[in-house]
Amino acid sequence: MILEELKEAVIEGDRELVEELCQKVLDEKINPVEAVENGLIKGIEEIGRLWTDGEMFLPDVMMGADALKAGLDILGPELSKAKAAGDAKEGKGKIVIGTVKGDIHDIGKNIVAAMMTAAGYDVYDIGFDQDAAAFTNKAEEVGAQIIAASALLTTTMGEQKELVDYLKERGLRDKYKVIIGGGPTTQGWADEIGADGWAETANDAVSLCNKLLA
Amino acid sequence: MSKVTLKVLTDEDIRQIHNTSLQLLQEVGIEVEYEPAVEVLKEAGMRVEGRRVFFDPAYVEKKVAEAPHDFTLYARDPKHNVHIGGDDVAYVPGYGAPFVIDAGGNRRPSTWEDYMNLLKLAHMCEEMDLSGGMLVEPNDLDDRTRYLDALYAHIRYSTKCLMGSSYGADGARDTVELLAPVFGGKDAIKEKPVVITLINTISPLKLDARQTGALMEYAKWKQAMVIASLVMAGSTGPATLAGALAVQNAEVLAGITLAQTVNPGTPVVYGSASSITDMRTGSVSIANAEAALLTASTAQLARFYGIPCRAGGGLTDSKTVDGQAGYESALMLMSPVTAGVNFILHTAGILQYWLCMSYEKFIMDAEIAGVIRRFKRSIDVNENTLALDVIKKVGPGGHFLTQIHTKRNHKTEMRKPVLSDRQSYEGWSKEKLTTEQQAARVWKKMLAEYEDPGLDEALQKHLQEYIEARKREITK
Repeated sequence: MILEELKEAVIEGDRELVEELCQKVLDEKINPVEAVENGLIKGIEEIGRLWTDGEMFLPDVMMGADALKAGLDILGPELSKAKAAGDAKEGKGKIVIGTVKGDIHDIGKNIVAAMMTAAGYDVYDIGFDQDAAAFTNKAEEVGAQIIAASALLTTTMGEQKELVDYLKERGLRDKYKVIIGGGPTTQGWADEIGADGWAETANDAVSLCNKLLA
Repeated sequence: MSKVTLKVLTDEDIRQIHNTSLQLLQEVGIEVEYEPAVEVLKEAGMRVEGRRVFFDPAYVEKKVAEAPHDFTLYARDPKHNVHIGGDDVAYVPGYGAPFVIDAGGNRRPSTWEDYMNLLKLAHMCEEMDLSGGMLVEPNDLDDRTRYLDALYAHIRYSTKCLMGSSYGADGARDTVELLAPVFGGKDAIKEKPVVITLINTISPLKLDARQTGALMEYAKWKQAMVIASLVMAGSTGPATLAGALAVQNAEVLAGITLAQTVNPGTPVVYGSASSITDMRTGSVSIANAEAALLTASTAQLARFYGIPCRAGGGLTDSKTVDGQAGYESALMLMSPVTAGVNFILHTAGILQYWLCMSYEKFIMDAEIAGVIRRFKRSIDVNENTLALDVIKKVGPGGHFLTQIHTKRNHKTEMRKPVLSDRQSYEGWSKEKLTTEQQAARVWKKMLAEYEDPGLDEALQKHLQEYIEARKREITK
């Protein structure tokens, strides 16, 4: 059964197999909404469960999230049509994530992005060394609810404040929840710059998003 | 070689790692984000594509062989000169943490006051061979110019050797400009290095602009550098330790090759802070069996190249001065010292994988370092130490407490603890002090007893004027 195969391929983090199966979904005109909701998503949910139980590790989650993304990229156009027709469920929420300007550290950010994906969010990762405008433009473009900015250096933390100020200056501050993280950051820093939240670990970041969008 | 020498790899293992690194350097290359460095390497005959430099293995081997086997760092007070290499080990305080954890486990951003306190402790502490570098980040000072304040403080308030700024070519130039007048001018320091600086690669396989800029400037002045890689096995390097070492080794060899290309004979230290990734959180874990193995194998690799080595430290992932902090730090100091590491950055004070400093931990680590230094000295076996005459004299059933041989030898043979509690239960139970509480007493007493070593007034004025001028330039 292809739905079961899709689920297993995501759990295995087998990107190539997911791509192959999704192509088959298109070729054989299988319902794409079914393929996503009862195939791909079931896989990422299982990963989330195994992770919570301590039976999965980071590579499992990150490769699973990659495989899911690859599948969604292929089924995306068909899925949009279905969504427009009101046949598919909306996701949990949209998050734009990136590492701030002047900072090239992105492993922690990648982990957080994968965890958010595994938790059911649509995650738009803009990469590292990104300025306030890049975060904002992406958020505007995709209609995100949350902007997440990472900084690993004491010298680049200031860019998180820049982001908050940039949104304020453009009258967009209330449109988004801004959350921050990274080695030298603290709840105190988040409060000081007027961010909506701070998380120390990837798990905490997901809980924070759940709380902010509840 | 020292009698105490831990080995974790065979000669054949070392050769395989070496060959893999050379293959990486030749086939994958190193991304060098500093144009002048790319130019210098291109001129030396390396193949370059954009910023990717592909190293010729024969050239790397030739250049690495030009680095000195050992060297002396010269201090303001000659009694603090430090020999780096051979069987010697230099202990250096923790470096670069943005937080301090107070006794009891409360974490806060570190300040200039912490910086000065730790500098005084480093100067006072017998086990510390250098006063260190960025002892903690002084978060209350302008981040663009705090390295100038830090350098001045080391020169002014300690007579031990210090570590320089790796804040790009400018930071290196400022370090040289501040130190030259203290040590008889630039020509003099070219002959006798007075500063050692931590230059970090970016794993995997990158050299960034700031660190590489500093590297080239220090090489120009023949000042010493630790060229260090920090591979996190499982994330910024392969999960397998052999592969992580191959990546680390390629990066460090690239850095050393660049330094020796700029100025042959520049004193360099082969450095590693490599460790593992916690596969549940993605966080670095710096104190564990794998890290201890990486540390010991780094010493073997450096010895293979005939270059002094930096690795290890009083390292822990613990957030407070507890059992975990004690056993992890002891392991992470025991491994490098017994494996023959020569320069141990982060010997004292570190908590939570380099993110935090603790005054109490500083004292505990100094104690561990002292114990391990004694262990490394091993057992002298000779006529005096075999003590045949005194054993004969005392005979069966007697005791040695009142023998002149005992009185004469125990002080050098047995290290006396500064921190460890050896009292009876009754003695200890009067106050029931924990290690942390005891350590707090020790550092407070040391700070109270700190004596200003002084510095020539005219020189102070000169250095301050230089710093003021630079600050105006940087912040304008």
